[in-house]
Amino acid sequence: MNQAKPISFDYKKYIALLLFILLVLVTLYPILVIGLNAFKSPQDYASHGPLSIPQGLYLDGLKNFWDRTSFTGKLLNSAEISIIVAVLGVILSLFNAYALGIGKIKGRAFLLVLFLLGNFIPQEALVYPIYYLAKLVHLYDSKLAVIFVFIVIQSSFGTYLLSSVFSGFQKEFIEAAVIDGANKLQVLFRIIFPISLPTLMVLFVFYFIWTWNEFFLPLILLVSSSKQTVPIAIATLQGQHNMDVTTSSASALLGILPCLIFFALFQRTLTRGITTGSLK
Amino acid sequence: MFKKAEKLFSIMLVLVMVFSLAACTTAEEPAPAAEVEEASAPTEAAAEPAAEEASSDEGRVLTVWHYESETGAMGKSWLKAKEVFEASHPGVTVVLDNSRGFEQIRQTASMILNSDEAPDVMEYNKGNATAGLLSSQGLLTDITDEVTKRGWDQILTGGMQTTSRYENGIMGSGAWYGVTNYGEFVMVYYNKDLFAEYGVEIPTTLDEFEAVMDTFVAAGITPIAMGASEYPAQQVFYELVLNQADQSLVDNYQLYTEPVDFHSEAFTFGAEKMADWVDKGYIEKNSTAMGAEDMGLGFEGGTYPMMITGSWWYGRLMLEITDFDWGIFLFPGNEYNPGSGGNLWIVPSSSENKDLAYDWIDATLSVEAQNVMGVEGGLPVNADPTQISDPKIQELVAAFNEFSPGAAFYPDWPAAGLYDALVGDVQNLINGDTTPAETLDSIAAFYNENKPETE
Amino acid sequence: MRKKNSLQRGYFLYLLPGLIGFTLVILLPFCITLLASFTKWNGVNPPHWIGLANYDKAIHDLKFWAAFRNNLIMILAMTIAPTILGLFISTVLFDYISRKFSPSLALFFKAALYIPQVLPVAIAGVVWKWILNPNWGSLNTTLNAIGLGNLASNWLGDATTALPTVMVIMVWFQIGYPLIIFMAALQRVDQEILEAAEIDGANWLQKFLHVTIPQIRPEIYVVIVTTTIYSLKIFGQIYVLTRGGPGTATIVPSYYTYQALFEQANVGYGSTIATVMTLIIFVLTYFFIRLQVKQEG
Repeated sequence: MNQAKPISFDYKKYIALLLFILLVLVTLYPILVIGLNAFKSPQDYASHGPLSIPQGLYLDGLKNFWDRTSFTGKLLNSAEISIIVAVLGVILSLFNAYALGIGKIKGRAFLLVLFLLGNFIPQEALVYPIYYLAKLVHLYDSKLAVIFVFIVIQSSFGTYLLSSVFSGFQKEFIEAAVIDGANKLQVLFRIIFPISLPTLMVLFVFYFIWTWNEFFLPLILLVSSSKQTVPIAIATLQGQHNMDVTTSSASALLGILPCLIFFALFQRTLTRGITTGSLK
Repeated sequence: MFKKAEKLFSIMLVLVMVFSLAACTTAEEPAPAAEVEEASAPTEAAAEPAAEEASSDEGRVLTVWHYESETGAMGKSWLKAKEVFEASHPGVTVVLDNSRGFEQIRQTASMILNSDEAPDVMEYNKGNATAGLLSSQGLLTDITDEVTKRGWDQILTGGMQTTSRYENGIMGSGAWYGVTNYGEFVMVYYNKDLFAEYGVEIPTTLDEFEAVMDTFVAAGITPIAMGASEYPAQQVFYELVLNQADQSLVDNYQLYTEPVDFHSEAFTFGAEKMADWVDKGYIEKNSTAMGAEDMGLGFEGGTYPMMITGSWWYGRLMLEITDFDWGIFLFPGNEYNPGSGGNLWIVPSSSENKDLAYDWIDATLSVEAQNVMGVEGGLPVNADPTQISDPKIQELVAAFNEFSPGAAFYPDWPAAGLYDALVGDVQNLINGDTTPAETLDSIAAFYNENKPETE
Repeated sequence: MRKKNSLQRGYFLYLLPGLIGFTLVILLPFCITLLASFTKWNGVNPPHWIGLANYDKAIHDLKFWAAFRNNLIMILAMTIAPTILGLFISTVLFDYISRKFSPSLALFFKAALYIPQVLPVAIAGVVWKWILNPNWGSLNTTLNAIGLGNLASNWLGDATTALPTVMVIMVWFQIGYPLIIFMAALQRVDQEILEAAEIDGANWLQKFLHVTIPQIRPEIYVVIVTTTIYSLKIFGQIYVLTRGGPGTATIVPSYYTYQALFEQANVGYGSTIATVMTLIIFVLTYFFIRLQVKQEG
């Protein structure tokens, strides 16, 4: 029952560590391969294949790709769309879950299912109608349409997650606050919001990354090059008869980096959340 | 900690507001091309044929889309065409946009052409399932008049015209909907060094071809690089079928002149031969997991002495192969080979600069632009042969001329979605999961169910 | 009584924006798709009403059934495996690694394991194809090097190994998702109860089963439901890795719909498959949620 005896060597923890390092290496191996090819010249790739170490640092592929797709603009578009969707999506999820999980409105189960469908419905079932609807309201080829669509789609997930979490909250606590004179908005922001912050941050990260990597609907809704996003730019390298592999790898690195940075930044807030176990 | 989260959140809110403002303002911007030329278009519309430059061209913008890379033959040729065009059209800006990849265009073409966002002229694939489909949907301009007026039908003759003309979505006859700049065909690429090393010569018959491959197999080398998860395998299958085919087979299969007998001698020969080649080790089973890129890589790396694929690889091989000598020969014993005119320039129905679009097509067919195409390893339709001195290019052009009379197009053209069906069916054949007869049945089923309705 | 009603109504206000968005982006488009499934339509020219013909075609379509059968099998790789693995790994990271080494290390591992989720599917797919290349890919090369050469196979190109291979790749993709959710959830577990259990003599497994899991049940439920549904919708990876092949070994409904919509311009039939998918998802979702709500009381 007692922990370490001062002299014995706790080998178990080093085995665990080793296993984890192995797991991480296997998981990250594909990224390594991308990295290898990002700086390879096409001739080098042709002679030695994708799994060889590059024979020199070749940066032209990166540069050509950046210029051909005006990558800076694509980065800005992706960032713009992803951040707006992430923030407004989280707020929407919070509102919905508040009503469903705390308010326990009648017909909760059905409404929850409805909202959840927003995230679950296959995008193929939406694509053609959304195209026509967007044309109808003159929002075809606009970032606004993309943002609007994804706020709805992503927030549905959070609605579900949050309302599940909220259902576990003790009612008395909230009722106590209400008796004390707090209105619904105050309860939301002073009690619910801080407690659910870790989950909200998770949602924020998810929404950003999911939206950033969305390909299909943005492909359909965004026509002008000036409005297109990073995944679409990367896809342009899939040619009709062949794929420009080295440039694709270079572009892949470029495409991943923002998400990785974003994730790294918000990682810390993810775990530095507040323990919510006891609502004392 | 709580305060920090709050601060973070407020920063995010501010960012959102800033971005939202940006998003809203950009959404209100009207499409520039449509606006800019609105002023000048009405005065142009009733004007004389576009053969004469209109001096009120000032400020017009011509949007041209394509999906080739700038370093390839087509890309470079079209950059030249842009020069030629702008020289004769001062005041007009050409926006040459190749920021979209082929897959993207293919997936969204009908949607874009059915809206206000279409370009003035664009590159698009030839064939019933692509250009044919768009023409039947009314999304393409009928350019027959321009073709005759400008003499394009003198440049594109015979088989080259087949892919430019569509009637009810079926190629071969009817109105002109597109113009191509180049040709393409399938042949055998071979590694001259390896051939010399193993003492084999270019075969002239199918039997000789198999003998050559036996030599390699005996030496432990797989003779043919293959990518059966994409287009190469079905084109090889088609080559084998064509080995025994006549014009009526091609016409029936591609133009639906009569119902196709998928168990005819030619088809049976093709399927059985393909299975045979896998058994003999000419094609490896592992190829079912390899794509065109793997195939090309395998050949370029010297692993496989041959690959059977199209002229679109030529320019790239010229650039990338530095270790060995290589060449091409037509599939031995075949009167017909896969191949056709290249991708088309099409003019969307909604284009508001059609006169300029036609001038653009003229520019791409100009001798200057076509010469660039030839020099870079493309197959131009209107180049000056005296300008092309590179022996490698001459080799290619010679082979193309030999191939031309027997253009059989591509096996996946007759029905929309046939490409994926063929990939799957040929994979099964190679894996031995279906017999040749069963494979033919599967292809026949898909073909018959999905081919366009003909009267 | 009256207070309760007005209380409920007040909450409903918070639901309004969500409901409006849902109607415009989900409900309306889906109804259009539903209608389209009864037509013959190429997406551009006016549609023709053909009643149930598309559904009849689907019932007799072998590829249609193959697609759904493959989906069912995929649930193993995209729901069951990631959930169990995710639970296990997150707990070990949170409890064990975090305490025995440092929280930062646990954080690092978590981040590393999440990275596959951040990658664009297209690129990750291509890289996996390189790794699994039967001739020179890393996997077969490694197997040969360590003497297990007879295991080397044509992973993605052989009908018997294709689907299992794709499933393993999907686990690689998915593992980060439950991991993140569970690690956030674990922070809610009451440490005092855990310590009390430990004092009572509970070992690691007992603590895990009797204290931890019940407290994070909402998240576990969410993960199971969402991963099941996502596995029904899988598209991108199939598109890049196998295109549904070899033959129909890895075809899935989403990809089949895509083929119908965008390669065959058969919007009617594509809508049919999409509608069937949606209905299945709807029924499953309804079933799951009712169960969950009943449990929560």
